[in-house]
Amino acid sequence: MSKVEHDRTHHAKIATGIGDPQCFMGKAGEAKFKVGDRVLVKDRSDLFYSRTMTYTRGAVGTVVRLVYESPAAEDEAWDNTDNPVWFYSVVFSQKDLWPEYHDAYGKDTLETEIPEMYLEKA
Amino acid sequence: MSSSTREEVLRHIQTVGNLQPALHKQTHAPAPTEITHTLFRAYTRPVHDVGGEYDVPIQWTEKEEEVWELNTFATCECLAWRGVWSAEERRRRQNVDVGQTAYLGLPYYGRWLMTAALILVDKQYVTLTELHDKIEEVKKRHEQS
Repeated sequence: MSKVEHDRTHHAKIATGIGDPQCFMGKAGEAKFKVGDRVLVKDRSDLFYSRTMTYTRGAVGTVVRLVYESPAAEDEAWDNTDNPVWFYSVVFSQKDLWPEYHDAYGKDTLETEIPEMYLEKA
Repeated sequence: MSSSTREEVLRHIQTVGNLQPALHKQTHAPAPTEITHTLFRAYTRPVHDVGGEYDVPIQWTEKEEEVWELNTFATCECLAWRGVWSAEERRRRQNVDVGQTAYLGLPYYGRWLMTAALILVDKQYVTLTELHDKIEEVKKRHEQS
């Protein structure tokens, strides 16, 4: 029987003494968005895996921070770390996410991290 | 096989029948034209622990971790430390790959433990036969004590 190739030290080789996600710093290229940009969350396919919350899809939020460069969850979930992307912290108004959200809490916000391929300029 | 084995097998078949995800309409591998986009999306939805889903109110109870749960956590962290999986691969396996029924039906650390066993088989550190033999061995030891 042939064994599947699996180098379980591949992550340790790049992250030891540096940390994760620090080991991916500078590997995602130029960031497409900057702090203050209004962004729309794309409703990309979530077949087999995604960590981009369904309730943020199609909603518009504001970039408040470029958090780190890291492989997308969709890739990392199969141990593929070859294509790091930018992650953005995006703030939404809760009223934009939940149709039944009460006006009494109209100023409530939600902040969450979203990878670049899920965002477009609003 | 003893008659108690047959009883267990038949009880198992019945229980699995009751575990069908409830769509509240008859489903027997329908023709492609009978599946709408909405239904397809619901069926293929990856099960998340990221929140935002509709549910009925449930009672909040505080439960202290049991020893086997702490051991399970430590085992899974060791698998990460030794490079067998990343946190993301672990999440994918224990949330999504188990399917909606098992995700909602099994205890939280039960899913962790099953997933730890499965990745060792998937990545060929042990064979499934070795794992089954071990389960049989432990079962016998447990019956004797």
